Amino acid sequence: MKKTILFTLFAVCSVHTAGAYDRNILAEYNDLYKNGGYQAALDGYKEMAAKEPGNPSAFYNAGNAYFRMNKPGLALLYYGKAFRLDPRDSDVRANMDLVMKRTGQAFVPEGMPKALHYLYYFFSDGELKAAAVVLWWLACLLLSLYALKAGLRERLSGPLLGAGLLLAGSLLWLMARASSPFNEAAVITAEGSAQLLSGPGETFKAYASLPEGRLVKVLDDTDDVYYEIGIPREGIKGWIKKTSAEKI
Amino acid sequence: MTFAAVALTFLSARPASAALSISAETDKTTVEINDSLYLTLTVTGDSASVPEPALPRMDNFNVYSSGRSQNISIINGKISTSVAFTYILSPRFIGKQKIPPISVFNGKEKYLTQEIEITVTKAAATAHPPGTDQSGRPARRQPSSAETRTAMKPEDLLYLTAETDKKAAYPNEQINLTIRFYTAVPLTSNPQYVPPQFKNLISEDLPPVRNGETVVKGARYSYSEIKTALFGIEEGRASVNPASVVAQIHSESAIDPFDPNFFQQFFSMSAGQGETRRVASNPVEIRILPLPAGAPPSFNGAVGNFTLSAGPDHKEIKTGEALNLSVTVAGKGNLKILTAPKLPDMPDFKVYDTMSSLDISKTGDVIGGKKTFTTILIPKTEGRRIIPPIRFSFLDPQTRSYRELTAGPFELLVKKGDGEGKNFSFAHGGQPAGITPLASDIRYVSDRAVPPLLAAAAGRVSALPLWLNLFPAAAVLLSLWLARLNDSRLKNPLLFRFRKAGGAARAGLAAAAEKLAAGRPQEAAPLLYDSLLAYLHGKSGLKASGLTMKRALSLLREKFPDIGEHSLAEIRDLWEKLEAAHFSPGGAGPREVKDMIEKYSSLLDLLEREFKKSKRK
Repeated sequence: MKKTILFTLFAVCSVHTAGAYDRNILAEYNDLYKNGGYQAALDGYKEMAAKEPGNPSAFYNAGNAYFRMNKPGLALLYYGKAFRLDPRDSDVRANMDLVMKRTGQAFVPEGMPKALHYLYYFFSDGELKAAAVVLWWLACLLLSLYALKAGLRERLSGPLLGAGLLLAGSLLWLMARASSPFNEAAVITAEGSAQLLSGPGETFKAYASLPEGRLVKVLDDTDDVYYEIGIPREGIKGWIKKTSAEKI
Repeated sequence: MTFAAVALTFLSARPASAALSISAETDKTTVEINDSLYLTLTVTGDSASVPEPALPRMDNFNVYSSGRSQNISIINGKISTSVAFTYILSPRFIGKQKIPPISVFNGKEKYLTQEIEITVTKAAATAHPPGTDQSGRPARRQPSSAETRTAMKPEDLLYLTAETDKKAAYPNEQINLTIRFYTAVPLTSNPQYVPPQFKNLISEDLPPVRNGETVVKGARYSYSEIKTALFGIEEGRASVNPASVVAQIHSESAIDPFDPNFFQQFFSMSAGQGETRRVASNPVEIRILPLPAGAPPSFNGAVGNFTLSAGPDHKEIKTGEALNLSVTVAGKGNLKILTAPKLPDMPDFKVYDTMSSLDISKTGDVIGGKKTFTTILIPKTEGRRIIPPIRFSFLDPQTRSYRELTAGPFELLVKKGDGEGKNFSFAHGGQPAGITPLASDIRYVSDRAVPPLLAAAAGRVSALPLWLNLFPAAAVLLSLWLARLNDSRLKNPLLFRFRKAGGAARAGLAAAAEKLAAGRPQEAAPLLYDSLLAYLHGKSGLKASGLTMKRALSLLREKFPDIGEHSLAEIRDLWEKLEAAHFSPGGAGPREVKDMIEKYSSLLDLLEREFKKSKRK
């Protein structure tokens, strides 16, 4: 029992310190940002993000640096990365909202209550997946006990049903999130705009121009040079160069 | 002439505490494709400020903000505000076009205008004498598209330029940006204009779009010109990034670029086949200069050329009654950012909040208008009272010097009132005045070094390999199998014992062999003896240790009639030997034990076969 408690404590402590940045280095980059050294700050934030890809702060700060450098597409890309890790962060939400408004988009879709939007994105995809995994293990454990210990069946039926329902709920939530505009999404990062082609090659006709910062859905990324993308709201799809857009 | 399509549609019941309304009106409902119309949105409310309407996407029109005009009235402390937002709409397509409902949102509810239908007609043909153009000058032969294309370099067919009227300016000094799209060939689809992005600048539209034609290096071009007023934010470098236009051109003439209605025509065309061209303007750098030294204390950042007027709305008043003191700044400059002139100390008055109304004009491509700041004052004491002079200063960029304007002093006769003055607030429903947003910006960088606990834990769990999740499923399957096994054992213990007897006997044999190998044969014989009795017990369901050998064999024969005599004889023989070894004082020797193990092993094989045969029958 003691060993179990010690192990749990160790696990919690290790989670608590996982993915943490060096405070002094972060403060140094933030000072650069404060004094207008956006490019230098950005390089630092990117380095931190590469080292700790599970920590949203560096992505968020990199988004800010890009915004200050007047690159709304890249700013939105990095805010999107931070948002996918920590969707409850009010700063990330506020900045995404602002950048999306400035690029002619809406963070909260028109007609959708803000509270519902907040609830829909309350947990990140990673958190929902982790919850599903934990609930799966829990449900299996309870089911095993239920099968083996006939005397405990009455006491186990409630928790087993609860774990099963929660597991189903988390899976349904994950499925619902598949239609999120941030799922399998990319942002147009080409300066000014990017051309949407009718096929994956220069020989195909350009039939639309996508402004920088536009959020698009990646339908297929197997081609080396082009993404096949869709814009559900306008009901159009086509190909853009991978150098013109980046996946969130 | 006014064609009104005014409506007030409330999505829900009008709340008693937040009256707001919006109406939309156009100056005409029929417009030619080469003309434009004015759309006026009027938002009225009973608070100091009203929200700006949200224009929906209008693909059928090019929309430009033309200005705003605000009226505010305060009667006995009750405020009524009306703001008219004016837009210029240039139609893009011929036919019935609709202006969709336009909404205004007060934070709780949305109010909508009704849809307005506009009829867009073809441009009226202008009769010209043969051989002359619209201006009466002799007409030149229009080169065909093919001729133009062959005569010119591809990059010269379409291009975009951007230029400003100043390369350096003070913060808040107006800089006019002109973006011109030149084309020498017909266009086959709607060009898409992507406006530039600005750094360290704020912008204001200067409609309408101007069209014309010109000759550049001997080639005739039609051009479309979009003007924007820019204002520097702070000292340093400012820039205008490239604007771009995506257009499609065709080898065959689709629209004559020298037609006077060229620009409306190319916007009114449907998308067609053709070669896509994207042209971008040149970037423009502007230097925002530091403000000159020697700013007077009343300077609050205003740059331009202004006049000041001020005054109370009453010359005589009673104590406790409200008086409106209005200060109006009018002229040319960025009035949106103008803050209220600081009022002098007025110990004889209670001074309440100041609110402002703003009228913006864009006449002659110059941003100007007037901004009125109204403050409610309540005299505390009777007698002749003075409102001291009000000062306002600004930087005149023409002379590069500061100018200070003064209004007042104002003398008032305050008579004895009926009682204490009422408390006034500009905010709705007696609430404190709301915050007026001046501009939007991103939130500051994060200094959080540690990731959120939940996100970090989720990251750890998600990093586990997927196949690991098969273990719980395997555990469940194993548990179910064990549970079933246990269940069957409980339901039929004899059958279970029957099935397990062979395995248990083999285990006993192995244990005995181990003892023998360890040089302790005297311990091996009892093991074999117990194992045989347990085996017979398991197979027959009868406890053999409580029976004589004869009785046990008789019961076995009864239970398994197909068992051979040879097998029974072998059992008897082994039993006897084991009994002898088990109960004799010296015990069995190694050789005897080895023989018994071999015999027991052969007997087990024989009996298992016999029992199987018997069971099948």
